[in-house]
Amino acid sequence: MSMDRRTFMQLLGAAGGGLMLGVSGGGCANPQVRKMTELAAETGEFQPNVFLTVTPDDRVLLALNKSEMGQGVMTGTATLVAEELEVPVSRIEPFHAAKPEFETSFGDANISVPGLGMQITGGSSSTPENYLRVRRAAASAREMLIAAAAASWGVPASACAARDGAVHHEASGRSTRYGELTKLAAQQPLVEEPRLKKRSEFTRIGVRRQRSDALSKVTGAAEFGTDVAIPNVARAYVLHPPTLGATVAKLDAAEAKGMTGVLDVLTFERGVAVVAEKYWQARRAAKTVQVTWRGGILNGLNTDALREAARDRVTRAGDHTMRDEGDVDDAMARDGVKALTSDYDVPYLAHAPMEPMNATVHVQAERVTVWAPNQSPTVMAEAVSRVLRVPREQVTVHSTMLGGGFGRRGVPDYVAEAALLARHFDRPIQVIWSREDDTRMAYYRPLATFRMRGAVNQGGKAVALAYRSASQSIIIDQAPVLSAAFPEWIPLVGRRMMARSNTGFLSTGSVADFIASEGATDTPYDVENIRVEYIPINTRLPVSFWRSVGHSFNGFVMESFIDELAHAAERDPVEFRRELLQGKPRYLEVLNTVARISGWGKPTEEGWGRGVAIHRSFGTIAAQVIEAGVFDDVIRVRKVWCAVDCGVAINPDVVSAQMEGGAIFGLSAALKQQINLVDGVVQEGNFDTYPSLRMHESPEIEVAIIDSDEAPTGVGEPGLPPAAPALANAIFAATGVRLRRMPFEIAWQDAKEAAP
Amino acid sequence: MTKLKVNGQPQEVDVPGDTPLLWVLREELGLTGTKFGCGRALCGACTVHVNGKARRSCVTPVSVVEGKEVTTIEGLARGGQLHPVQQAWLEENVPQCGYCQSGQIMAAVALLKARPEVTDDDIDAVMSANLCRCGTYPRIRRAIKRAVQLSRGEMTRDMGGREP
Repeated sequence: MSMDRRTFMQLLGAAGGGLMLGVSGGGCANPQVRKMTELAAETGEFQPNVFLTVTPDDRVLLALNKSEMGQGVMTGTATLVAEELEVPVSRIEPFHAAKPEFETSFGDANISVPGLGMQITGGSSSTPENYLRVRRAAASAREMLIAAAAASWGVPASACAARDGAVHHEASGRSTRYGELTKLAAQQPLVEEPRLKKRSEFTRIGVRRQRSDALSKVTGAAEFGTDVAIPNVARAYVLHPPTLGATVAKLDAAEAKGMTGVLDVLTFERGVAVVAEKYWQARRAAKTVQVTWRGGILNGLNTDALREAARDRVTRAGDHTMRDEGDVDDAMARDGVKALTSDYDVPYLAHAPMEPMNATVHVQAERVTVWAPNQSPTVMAEAVSRVLRVPREQVTVHSTMLGGGFGRRGVPDYVAEAALLARHFDRPIQVIWSREDDTRMAYYRPLATFRMRGAVNQGGKAVALAYRSASQSIIIDQAPVLSAAFPEWIPLVGRRMMARSNTGFLSTGSVADFIASEGATDTPYDVENIRVEYIPINTRLPVSFWRSVGHSFNGFVMESFIDELAHAAERDPVEFRRELLQGKPRYLEVLNTVARISGWGKPTEEGWGRGVAIHRSFGTIAAQVIEAGVFDDVIRVRKVWCAVDCGVAINPDVVSAQMEGGAIFGLSAALKQQINLVDGVVQEGNFDTYPSLRMHESPEIEVAIIDSDEAPTGVGEPGLPPAAPALANAIFAATGVRLRRMPFEIAWQDAKEAAP
Repeated sequence: MTKLKVNGQPQEVDVPGDTPLLWVLREELGLTGTKFGCGRALCGACTVHVNGKARRSCVTPVSVVEGKEVTTIEGLARGGQLHPVQQAWLEENVPQCGYCQSGQIMAAVALLKARPEVTDDDIDAVMSANLCRCGTYPRIRRAIKRAVQLSRGEMTRDMGGREP
């Protein structure tokens, strides 16, 4: 059985949605109507659902259930509202909704679709999830405002139209601003099934426009987690153990305790905290603190040895067969075929967002308040509730802007840490990590090894394709996080049981880890004999979601190996893929488009080569052609052409930006990044040892978006998977050297030393 | 007491001389637009101007800027008008997460001041000191070139918030 991550998340959500209907169908009055009526009476504001509030002074507030981490979700969601509400996008004011706002304020069956009870941002799912839901919320508001105006004029609603933040009665020339209609609109019957505009009627969706958050981000006004100004806050720097799980054996903090501004130096669950009035005081004092650590749970873990063991492991049969069609071994042994076997591997990777992990927490009697850049207020609240042993409904989580997320800010360790420290103080405590700790204490993208096998026949067609990988299971490692994703009103014991049952059947092998082989199991290539096998490996180093997750390595491996097969068949890599994608028009359109805009097939300058890759992730198909070369042993990437089919592009410029950013993130990983452990200690730290692409290394990028009527799919992650294989394929085209290990800068040196 | 001028305003701060300028700006003066990214001048998120030149405030002791003029991202706009570099950033839709952008903009402003006829090589040489994990580099490059034209009045605005 195979299941992609979205299906899995929908399953989680569906359980909640069903139960929610059971609750609201119990005969009680619709709580949303009650809330709407009360609010209108108190403030004059019109709030027909949890997303939208129209104020008497014509403001339109959009409560976002998604976190803005650069992917443009504020802009995209504001555009959906603007389209249906008939208000300029620039007039919509999006803000991050605090948990529990979204978990407790739903009654409207129209809006309470499955999954809404949890606030989580990941899996490139925000726009697909909200595309109809938010438009429905806005269209419902529009129809109620029209009904209110029509009632006040004594004309039929059908004779009125909404335009530019007002309702107009064309026949009489009358018009009324939304702000003047809020009280009356709140008295109209809730519109459950509003009419949504057709694509041909869109005037805002599909238009390139300025991001809603752009101005605040070019003036320094945007508030990130490190910037929150909470009255009376104290700041903390935590000395974390050098290896996971080590504890304090001896602490000498006498000098630090006497330093300016220092409030306390204390040992707690996560290490030693230096707490001061100011962060610079805490950092300054921390330099004088002497800690001796003992123990740890990763002693003896060496990534070199782990990689060797995992390389060896993939030479033997897999534990889980995710897909098996035809007979790969037989097809590879037939006369006249060219058979290939290639081994690949990728290292652990940190997310390294620009804003180091940080959180601010205030623990009070029966109330815990969190301010943090995070990808899931629900998960954060659950984690705080567990570590402090307080009911989840007592925890409020305010999300700030995220200085990058990439999956890292879905793991609640840094928020739980601030909560564990804050309970020792009667004032808010802000914890900001060092860059080194951000790198060393990430929940890494798993290290993985692969054995790829395949064959092409005399006609040059792929007749066998076999994928086998060994990696740690993200699902098993993140079980506690996943259990937090269940709605709050399921008792904790129930949430834990549900999470355990989901991970339980994974670890017992009845359903293997679909994330580990995502992008391989669902390969679109029409190959007669195909097998996908997965081998879970276990270490005590936790792993987690890293931008595009399993696709981040499976895209590399699958698309590099397809290229190897194309070259074995002595065929053009685009033509070779085209043949295997017959009957899949969306893939073909993307592939043909990237070939066209890149001028595929034209000769390149001396020393340069071009590679192609195409990969679908999170419902979106992205293809890239990369032009690269190796000059004086330096790999240079000159140009990336990208074609993408993500359904309707809400804001084409944001889609382009995500393709550009995804490619550069993928190239950083492909060329430079790795996390290594020696005896349980992470060797990398700051940006010098964990580097990323910089301006002078960054290619020019050209993006073509396929025009589509299909519902939108995600764009935050799908730009990443094609980057590494397109680059590897380009380097092969330029030099004849096939790089099968990341990072390529090291693989290139190794290949050079190995060459005769 | 250390005396300095920040965004045109005289300031006095009572901190040890080795306190990094970054934290003086953020915690003593409440100017949080300047960001902490690495603490070692490796990422450029903390870039400000000291007497008009780009400096990494995370490794600049406050004693070094005694009596000098410091400009931060908050001081770039004048009289309600965005600096041409900020305007260009808007028009190219540069920011994604935005955390590095204050530093990127400050670095770009200093670059254009030193090299009004900026070349791609200049951009590579100077802007490579500023890291962006969202990968906004191609847009930063375009925005710097657009800023040159905006400064000369050669380009009219587009996408500046107007829309149907």
